[in-house]
Amino acid sequence: MIRALVALLFVAFALAADGDAQAQTTRPYRIYAITFRGMTDVEKGFQDYFAARRIPVQITFRDLNRDSTRMPGFLEEIRRTKPDLIYTWGTGNTLAVAGTYDNVDPSVHITDIPIVFTLVAAPVLAKVVRDLKNSGRNVTGVFHVAPTEAQIRAMASYRPFKSLGILYTPTEQNSVVVVEEVREVSKRLGFSVIAKPLKLDANKKVTAEGAQDMVRELKQQNAEWLYLPPDTYLGTIAKNVVIPAAMQVGLPAFASTEQLMETGAVAGLVSRYHAIGQFTAYKAEQILVNKVSPAKIPVETLTRFALQVRMDVAEQLKMPPPLPMFNYAELIVPKAEAAAAAAAAATPATPAAPAAPAASATPK
Amino acid sequence: MLEKNYLWRIYWRLAGVIMVCVVVALAVVSYASHRVFDRELVPETEQKAATVGASVRALVLKATGYGIEFAQLYGVEQTFAEVFEENPEFAYMAITNTDGNVLFARGTEPIGARSHFRNPVVLQIAHETTDLSKAARVGQQYIVSMPINDAGKPLGVLHVGIDAAFVDHVLLEVLLDVVVVLVVSLFFTLELLNFMAGARLASGLGEFARQVERMRSGDFTATARIRANDEIGRLLRRIDSAIDHLNVRYEFLVGELQDKLRTASAPRREALKPAQQALEQLGKRLRFGSAPEGSDGDEMNLNRVRAPLFAFILAEELTRSYLPSYVNQLIVAIPGISPQVVIGLPIMLFMLIVAIGQPYLGSWSERVGRRKAMLVGAVVATVGFTGTALAYNLYDLILWRSLCALGYAMVFVAAQGYVLDRTGQQNRAQGFALFIGAIMVATVCGPSIGGILADNIGFRASFGVSALMALASILAIARLPTTEVKPAVAKPTRGPRMREIMALVTNRRFMTLTGLAAMPAKIILTGVCFYLVPLYIVSIGNTSAMAGRMLMVYAVMMVLIVPLSASLSDATMRRDRYVSVGLIISGLSGLLLLLSDSFLVLFGVVFLLGLGQALSIAAQSALVAEHCQEEIRIYGHDAVYGVYRLLERLGNAMGPLIASLLVILWGYQGAFVALSALVLFCGIAFTIATHGSEWTPAAPAHP
Amino acid sequence: MGTIRVRFIIVALVVSFFAVGMAAFLNYFKYKSTIAGIVKSRVLVIGRNIENSVQASLSVGMQFMELGTMNALLQREKASDRLIRGIDVFDQTGQILYSTERARVGEKVASTWTEAAARSKTTEWGTEATEEYVAGISLKNNFDLTVGFLAMRYSSEEIERAAKVAGREILLASIFSFLGIALIAPLALIVVIRRFERDLRALEAAASHLEDRAEPALPTGSAFDSAIGNLRSSLRDANAALDDLRAKLDAAP
Repeated sequence: MIRALVALLFVAFALAADGDAQAQTTRPYRIYAITFRGMTDVEKGFQDYFAARRIPVQITFRDLNRDSTRMPGFLEEIRRTKPDLIYTWGTGNTLAVAGTYDNVDPSVHITDIPIVFTLVAAPVLAKVVRDLKNSGRNVTGVFHVAPTEAQIRAMASYRPFKSLGILYTPTEQNSVVVVEEVREVSKRLGFSVIAKPLKLDANKKVTAEGAQDMVRELKQQNAEWLYLPPDTYLGTIAKNVVIPAAMQVGLPAFASTEQLMETGAVAGLVSRYHAIGQFTAYKAEQILVNKVSPAKIPVETLTRFALQVRMDVAEQLKMPPPLPMFNYAELIVPKAEAAAAAAAAATPATPAAPAAPAASATPK
Repeated sequence: MLEKNYLWRIYWRLAGVIMVCVVVALAVVSYASHRVFDRELVPETEQKAATVGASVRALVLKATGYGIEFAQLYGVEQTFAEVFEENPEFAYMAITNTDGNVLFARGTEPIGARSHFRNPVVLQIAHETTDLSKAARVGQQYIVSMPINDAGKPLGVLHVGIDAAFVDHVLLEVLLDVVVVLVVSLFFTLELLNFMAGARLASGLGEFARQVERMRSGDFTATARIRANDEIGRLLRRIDSAIDHLNVRYEFLVGELQDKLRTASAPRREALKPAQQALEQLGKRLRFGSAPEGSDGDEMNLNRVRAPLFAFILAEELTRSYLPSYVNQLIVAIPGISPQVVIGLPIMLFMLIVAIGQPYLGSWSERVGRRKAMLVGAVVATVGFTGTALAYNLYDLILWRSLCALGYAMVFVAAQGYVLDRTGQQNRAQGFALFIGAIMVATVCGPSIGGILADNIGFRASFGVSALMALASILAIARLPTTEVKPAVAKPTRGPRMREIMALVTNRRFMTLTGLAAMPAKIILTGVCFYLVPLYIVSIGNTSAMAGRMLMVYAVMMVLIVPLSASLSDATMRRDRYVSVGLIISGLSGLLLLLSDSFLVLFGVVFLLGLGQALSIAAQSALVAEHCQEEIRIYGHDAVYGVYRLLERLGNAMGPLIASLLVILWGYQGAFVALSALVLFCGIAFTIATHGSEWTPAAPAHP
Repeated sequence: MGTIRVRFIIVALVVSFFAVGMAAFLNYFKYKSTIAGIVKSRVLVIGRNIENSVQASLSVGMQFMELGTMNALLQREKASDRLIRGIDVFDQTGQILYSTERARVGEKVASTWTEAAARSKTTEWGTEATEEYVAGISLKNNFDLTVGFLAMRYSSEEIERAAKVAGREILLASIFSFLGIALIAPLALIVVIRRFERDLRALEAAASHLEDRAEPALPTGSAFDSAIGNLRSSLRDANAALDDLRAKLDAAP
């Protein structure tokens, strides 16, 4: 009798163990990812996170390659394959898949599969979600621009200032909002803001004309920093137009995104794409593994951003970063010097930062 | 009474002498400690300075490794500032070049630093390539110097200055605790004097005084008491014998007179008339014979309950300043309940058990006997304290704390009954003064000492100390007289009935007193003192000992002000004014935190709270008797007071709950302010409600 | 006259024993916690250095599990302070990922470590076993997710030794000052008690002459004078009344 019972128990145990193992190994979570311009570091971070957490996932990558005509095909494929989760890169992709919160067309947009977006600069402004705390939709995600105040404070910790210059595109709502935020912060922290909108041509299209003069004017008006807001058009002219002018008059530029950082700003507070990807994966884990409804998962950005400093630019400007910054900043050195610096650095584990990802473009 | 004051004068003088001795001894101990601290801590701190310095140096070398000129480094002072923030004992940091010229510096430069930096021996350090550091005393600082050497290329020297006075700062913190120990020692002294020598002395002198009074009023009845064999006992025996002689003489005279009257003829009777009249006169003025059987030795036995009660209450009071922090440490998430409320849960439950248990435990202790009830209570509490010390998590902690609460309620009620049984109408107040006195002294000594213990030996060991105190109280209770005194007119006490509760709760006059004064006072007491202060103090980075000091301020205020306000409010008969003023002062206390959130302000809060409570507490319950005559006539004195006490104690239980909810809403400071505002509102409402003519004291009506 | 005097002296001794004992206790523990704090913060300085390196590696996209230079870095940092016995880095489950001792990698740390880390409200935590103290730092990634823990094991010997030395000296000082009190307090108390005893003696003396008809010179200065006076006068009154009765009785034939 007892023996029979023991045997029975044993079988039950074996079955339970087997069931466990099956659940873990058989079916990985299926994720359908739509990128905008091929694979970036974000996707690498996204995959790395699942690998590190040993969460089995099967990711189907589809690239829009900046061609929006491909989107209907993707949506059709999603409806057909019914993945567990959809990953969308950038504002355009996200809106194409999910629609704005006030204009959802179930025949076009996906509503029954959780969507996790990434690299959307301003989710509320773009009407992806109404409220960051809880989206209220089957959508959540990660945005990547550091809070304006954090950027201002980072600038001040590099070099304190009394007056801040800004160039921005008046037709980009995103930039206008950021400029407003900077003005708000300036009241609290006590500095003056000189914001100059880029000129519009006859067709009301923004133009780079006169941008260099504006930079020089800013310098004459005693601006101590040139702040580059997350501005798409500015991004395209920064490297060849704005930065050279700023370097000429010795006005340091501070970048708000990784892309702007690459144009040659001396410093910037940016979100590393890799970390953004990991954070996006963390949100996906909440949905897939912990079964939290996306509607209840806040839309957030990183809590710690990478403060990047271009050492060669700093040297040209005669503005070495303050000593405490060597503890936490990511110091970017032109390739040739990198090896030497790494050898000399006293804390050997500090990586001589590799040049940021080759491809560069802001989302959307 | 002259003798009572006389004895207290003696006590104070004795306590003064003892205190002087203690202060001298504490000074000696502190001085010796300072020497040890100085000798041992300085080398340790120098080591730490070397490690911190090495970390700064690594940063400097990292920067120069990126090609930044050593002399052109930017923000070095900022790095120094960050170091100071983490290490307050460092007063000065500097980097010199290889010539000893200061390139970067921050903090207070000690006198003689410049020449020290140029000293060739110090400059030689720059050429060291190892991890060496050298320490030297320069002015008021110990300077630790180390090389900044880039793989063989000397760049300069890094100096870290340690403030030589930092040891003083460390000891200053101890000094605060030592002051607490001094205050507690003073109270201990008085308590012990009372316990060890005073009880017998006081009753002896009291007996003497009463004897004098009796004789003055013409009472020469002989008492058949056994006098103790000490100074006072001998004295009383002398008086007894004098009285005996008088009685013998009186009886002899009376006998003689009666003899003569019996045998005398009419004319002779006439002659005896003056003598007879004199005897009658004498009988009116003086009394002889033997005294009625007195309540023998009651006063002595009454005093004997004080020590065990003190030890027992102390066990509980010890935990006041750190219990919330301990709960916080053992907390387990209860779904649906905020952790803030969970922290308050054990306190709440404690108060609730005491509130609800007391009426029923009263009659229980009457049945089983006061001594036995106290014993059972103390044992239950001892088990509770031991369990609390060993608690695994919040759930069993709640069980253990409930045992503590049950034990507390048992001992409290039984001790109260013990006093009631042994006091009559005329000395009841005195009996309760003794009862309250023991509790007050325990509230002064307990939280402060408990906080100190918790900080130094940990929460669990501190609960162990409480368990030991409770155990000690068991031993003391066991020594109480085993014979129970049953007052002749004893009617069994009982808990208030639901009908009475309902009737009184809906009674406007009764609820004005209870709901607007008594309950808010208790809510702010337990909410602030037992919940908010311990948690807030720790949350702003202070210690449990500091929380204990705060609670001591409250208790000291009570000890000092309550007797004063009790007699003043009795004398003026405007008790409601005292309650109003007390409530309003209590209500203003928390508003102080609107000014600043420093712990000094918190001292002010507790001070005002103590003042407010002390002013109103004595007058509050007297007001019930004064203004609820009608209700007392209908429901009886016991029922009215039973419901009053029950509601008051429910206020005790509600305090932590309300406070914790307020913390969730507005944080600690907000909770202080909101709780005070609530009491302030009640205070103002009470003032307005009692303004009418209905509330004007009709002095002659109440004797 | 002895009993009261002895009792008062016992009270003095008990109280001063308490006070001196508490003061010694406070000083000793303050010393111990101060020195432990100094040593711990010294260890944490090294911990912060390591944390900075880890942080830098993580923010450029390296995986926490794959920090190739970590073991070497831990070795170097350990060598910088002789106090440190070993440094471990472990993950959320308590499994050691990197260590100064190769053999420890893959093992689980004591559960007290993970508990202490979980309980701490800051990124710093610590435990104190009898042999070994641990100072730890929680390592967080860019979005505040704790990825692992850094634990520096250091010897408790130095603290224990220092505490022992200081403890002995403080104890000695306390014993001496207590003995001092034991000598001085009784003498000082006797001054106060003497007065009390004199009062009592005066009272007793007066009481012993209560029935003397002769009016003895009252001992002055005693606090009981008025009470004695009262006593005497009421006795005198009573006696006088009885005398009166006696006289009236005698007057009758």
